Amino acid sequence: MIKFIDVKKTYPNGVEALKGVNLEIKDGEFVAIIGLSGAGKSTLLRIINKMIDVTSGQIYIDDINVSSIKGKELRMLRRSVGMIFQSFNLVKKMSVFNNVLSGRVAYHSTFKTILGLFPKQEKILALDSLDAMGILDKAFIRADQLSGGQQQRVALARALTQEPKVILADEPVASLDPITTIQVMDDFAKINKNFGITIVANMHHVDLALKYATRIIGVKDGLVVFDGKSNEINDQILVDIYGRTLKHDELLGDTNE
Amino acid sequence: MNKFQISNGKTINKPFNKIWVVLAILVVLTIIFWQFITYDSSMIDLSQLFVIVKQMFTPKNTNLTHRTWADYFAFMLELRYPLWITIQMSIGGTIIGSLFAVPFAIFAARNIFKNKYINAPFRFVMNLIRTIPIILLAIIAMAMVGAGVLPGIIAFTIFSFGIMSKMLYEVIETVDMNPFEALESTGANKLQAFSYSIVPQIFLPFVSYLLYIFELNIRASAVLGFVGINGIGEVISVNRLYNYDRVGAAVIVLFILIFALQLINSRIRGKLQ
Repeated sequence: MIKFIDVKKTYPNGVEALKGVNLEIKDGEFVAIIGLSGAGKSTLLRIINKMIDVTSGQIYIDDINVSSIKGKELRMLRRSVGMIFQSFNLVKKMSVFNNVLSGRVAYHSTFKTILGLFPKQEKILALDSLDAMGILDKAFIRADQLSGGQQQRVALARALTQEPKVILADEPVASLDPITTIQVMDDFAKINKNFGITIVANMHHVDLALKYATRIIGVKDGLVVFDGKSNEINDQILVDIYGRTLKHDELLGDTNE
Repeated sequence: MNKFQISNGKTINKPFNKIWVVLAILVVLTIIFWQFITYDSSMIDLSQLFVIVKQMFTPKNTNLTHRTWADYFAFMLELRYPLWITIQMSIGGTIIGSLFAVPFAIFAARNIFKNKYINAPFRFVMNLIRTIPIILLAIIAMAMVGAGVLPGIIAFTIFSFGIMSKMLYEVIETVDMNPFEALESTGANKLQAFSYSIVPQIFLPFVSYLLYIFELNIRASAVLGFVGINGIGEVISVNRLYNYDRVGAAVIVLFILIFALQLINSRIRGKLQ
């Protein structure tokens, strides 16, 4: 369970990204955060695992007050939260396998990880994750040899290898083409269903968010302006969130699967 | 300054072309150098060049010394001992100097340590060391530990440090920092995140620079003999006045080694890409 209590975030340059957010996300939910660029979506997501510090308010993951922990406690918490990025953030010159295995480093001492000593069952776990993403055969080639969609799956496999309770995804499909987008979103749905992992994703394409997420959170000017099931969304609500009707590029459109 | 007016009346300025500044500097440099060309060119005696080159690459044959081609090649074979010393000193200096360069390069890199008060002292030391010519390093090392192999290793170490620290921090500053963020998000500490996201990106350039610096050290060894460092340079230095054939033999051996190293380097670098 993730809980926001009156969370505010003001950046050093004076921008108020979040102006008092209250939320509760239950285990196993698939949540999409939608809103204009600059509305605070990315801050809302990154503040959950303290990649960004809160200015005031509290965030809880289960019983842990994320906003108050640091050092080893924070790293232990981050271990249980996977993160997916728009630009995949893989080490391109490293093998797919090592990229995936790097999801385990936080489970071991610095000394052991620098020497690259991982228990055999963790190496198998990494390969299992790759297999779950359907790219086991790519394990021992370099990450930069893969297509964008495959790289995002490697990133997903890395997150799975952490054995997380939650996966946070910051615009996970924004740099993919429409066909690959559908495939990667299907992978998210699979992870959500088969592994019971909570997914919180920032989505640029509204129709995708409605199709895949069970719950939609609309953000506008640092405030949550809509929070409900995806089938409750109608055009008027979208106008409330976006302040206007949707633009063409905010919809993925028909991809003729 | 060129001003363009397009069809609808809008104007845009084309900035001043810097090529004219470069040309002006070239003209000034040519004028300065002209003095040497006009005054001193009469002193250049090209025929001497051929005399010396001929003496270098044929066995010495005078009233007092009679050497044959067999002697020439036997001497080349003898050179393997000083050459081996040169190679050992270069390898030692390259490895020790490059390893010391790693922490300096990390602390000097602005993307790793964002505080410029941390970067600045490391950069200062690196720049300072790089300004010292290797021959001066050798002289100082000789004064400290005496003649032999050790001052050579010290000189090569400091020289290698200067080059590696500079090249490595530049490559660190160009790495992709996104994987570092990803590793931190998995709960890795800074050192773990560094070794799993930055190290894989700088490892291949590091190996490639290692080979290049080794090559530079071998080349530099030719002149270090003049200040009393052992190795192939010593052979050149000892024979430079009367035994041109021996200098020639040493030059050939050194040339073959450096040429072979370049070949190996480009092959390995090709494989590393």
